[in-house]
Amino acid sequence: MKQDFINFPLQVIFKPFDSFWDLKYDNKGKLIVVYLLVILTIMAIILQKKYAGFLVNYSDPRYLNSVTDIVTVVFPFLLWCIANWSITTLMGGEGKFIEIVKATGYSLTPIVLIYLPMTFISRFMAEEEIAFYYLLISIASLWFVWLLFIGIMTVHQYTVLKTIVTIGLTIVVMGIIVFLGALVLSMIQQIYEFIYNIYREILFRT
Amino acid sequence: MFIKKSISAIVMASLLFSSSLIDTVKASTPYEAYNYNYWEEAVASPAAYIPDKVITGLDLGIGSLLEPNDFALGSDGRKYISDTGNKRIIVVSQDWKVEQIIEGYMSSAGVMTNFENPTGLFVDHDNLLYVADSVLGQVIAFDEQYKVTLVIDNPQSDIIAAGFKFVPLKIAVDEAKRIYVVASGVFEGIMQFDTDGSFLGYIGTNEVKRDYYEIMWRMFSTKEQLSKSVLFIPTEFSNLDLDQKGFLYATNIDISTQTPIKRLNPSGVDVLKRYGYFDVKGDIFFRGSIGPSRFVDIKYLNDGLYSGLDSNQGKIFTYDAEGNLLYIFGAIGNQEGTFKTPVALEFDGARHYVLDRAKANISIFKPTKFGKLVNEASRLHYNGFSKEAVPIWEEVLTLNSNYDVAYIGIGRSLVMAKQNEEAIFYFKQGMEREQYSVAFKRFRREEMKEHFSAVMTIIVIGAIATIGLLMWRKLRRKNMKFRNSHTVGRDQAL
Repeated sequence: MKQDFINFPLQVIFKPFDSFWDLKYDNKGKLIVVYLLVILTIMAIILQKKYAGFLVNYSDPRYLNSVTDIVTVVFPFLLWCIANWSITTLMGGEGKFIEIVKATGYSLTPIVLIYLPMTFISRFMAEEEIAFYYLLISIASLWFVWLLFIGIMTVHQYTVLKTIVTIGLTIVVMGIIVFLGALVLSMIQQIYEFIYNIYREILFRT
Repeated sequence: MFIKKSISAIVMASLLFSSSLIDTVKASTPYEAYNYNYWEEAVASPAAYIPDKVITGLDLGIGSLLEPNDFALGSDGRKYISDTGNKRIIVVSQDWKVEQIIEGYMSSAGVMTNFENPTGLFVDHDNLLYVADSVLGQVIAFDEQYKVTLVIDNPQSDIIAAGFKFVPLKIAVDEAKRIYVVASGVFEGIMQFDTDGSFLGYIGTNEVKRDYYEIMWRMFSTKEQLSKSVLFIPTEFSNLDLDQKGFLYATNIDISTQTPIKRLNPSGVDVLKRYGYFDVKGDIFFRGSIGPSRFVDIKYLNDGLYSGLDSNQGKIFTYDAEGNLLYIFGAIGNQEGTFKTPVALEFDGARHYVLDRAKANISIFKPTKFGKLVNEASRLHYNGFSKEAVPIWEEVLTLNSNYDVAYIGIGRSLVMAKQNEEAIFYFKQGMEREQYSVAFKRFRREEMKEHFSAVMTIIVIGAIATIGLLMWRKLRRKNMKFRNSHTVGRDQAL
């Protein structure tokens, strides 16, 4: 229990190479931990928007919406995993979909670990200390990117260059998926309108 | 916490019980008064100024004005109207009786010169009149009897190009009688003349904005294309005014600039304070088809306050010395108190006067209770009487509880009085982060001092407990290992 929920995520963020290897070949990561990390990330972001100190909190309280925050985390997360899986299956990646999800999920750990305490500490910060807040927030983001990079590289057994190319392509594919999704949605809507119009026409004719 | 709550309770209660006051300010205006909040949204606000009276040439008994272009108030209450289309200057007494109509000037040689197109005029602190005539190309100074004392004509200098045509539009004169002229076709800045009319130089050039897209485009265009494209030239100033310290307030009508209002120090550097939430540029939020504010006149009101006249939407924007937008009034329209082509703005210490060129009239605006209170509190604050300003700001808040400048004003006074916790509340209300930080730091230090022993005790106990726990765990682990190794040994032995 403790091993799965605390030790392994900590091991991942400090020793990413070994840990992602373990994740892949020793089947160490747990999907439930990934879900938990995603939920904690959402919570960290919501709490940051609502409770970060006045000096660093620029969010308009009238427009805070937890549903939007959930969507802005979950949607890109899934999109990333799907896009990355679609690309790596074509590019000789060894990772399974589940492994991509796990690697991405475990990479979120530093965001949870840094955002939550920083939200609390920022309430006691004066203007001069704000720089530390932003420094740590950026460290969290960079750490996340670093872990994601290592994770993708290890899971697929890629070289550094190939990983960079794949990540670039993944982002392109994410754009394509969004585009296609929008296209399909608008088409469905058009078809619905069409059928509904026919129905109304028949209704009024008879 | 209790204090914080009780303050908000007091504020709320005073809001509730003093709502009867609001009736006194209620007055119909032909425009909707508003102001911008921290989130750059236009929110309704009580009107600060309401139309009082409209004066036309017919009221003065001298026939309609024709395209009047400028208007000035003397400190003795005399009013000067530049009736440009009728080629005359009208001097009106304090109670709107025509005193004099000046149609030109007699030179010392006895030659009469009539005005051709008097576009600008200025009355200095000794109530001497100065006129700029753009067709004559002259700036003319008069004495008390409206006899000419000085004519500036064709300024000569090494830095003025040979074929230069002097077209003065607007003028201002400082206490040392130096004359500042905004002239057409001059991109170097405001022309400055000495008391004897000799040219001193330019001050306050508007900077040319470099547009990287435009530069890129130019790199690939041919010579023919370049010769046909528009030149990169600095924009001209549109009007100017002086404060009592001799600083120039100048406006320009460059629509792309973020600094249409400038305060120029004697060496021509823009020193306008812009500490408000947003740029000092009139409307923050506007429709693309209407466009940003175009300032055609500016008036220094006293005590750091200044008003700009926006000809695009017919609005008057008043700012305080720190660049906070205090209130907005006026509109384009046909009713009394609205404008068609507003061109000049004046202030007599209480009322605003706006001269409209197309309507050929002068609209007079009087302050409401809200306007008076805001002016009074800003005045006190500017002169350092922050504490005296607090009750007035509180009254302002009863009229408009969204008035951020009032919250900040009260907060500042509280910081000075070392009431940091209360100050924090007010700065939060006013969304003023810098001042909040100052108050918060002091509050934090006080709290730390007060609870130093408690905090230290907790830290020490916490540290001891952590170390103890770690040692205990280590010890236990060692025991376990020992036991394990013992067991292993025993197992092996067995």
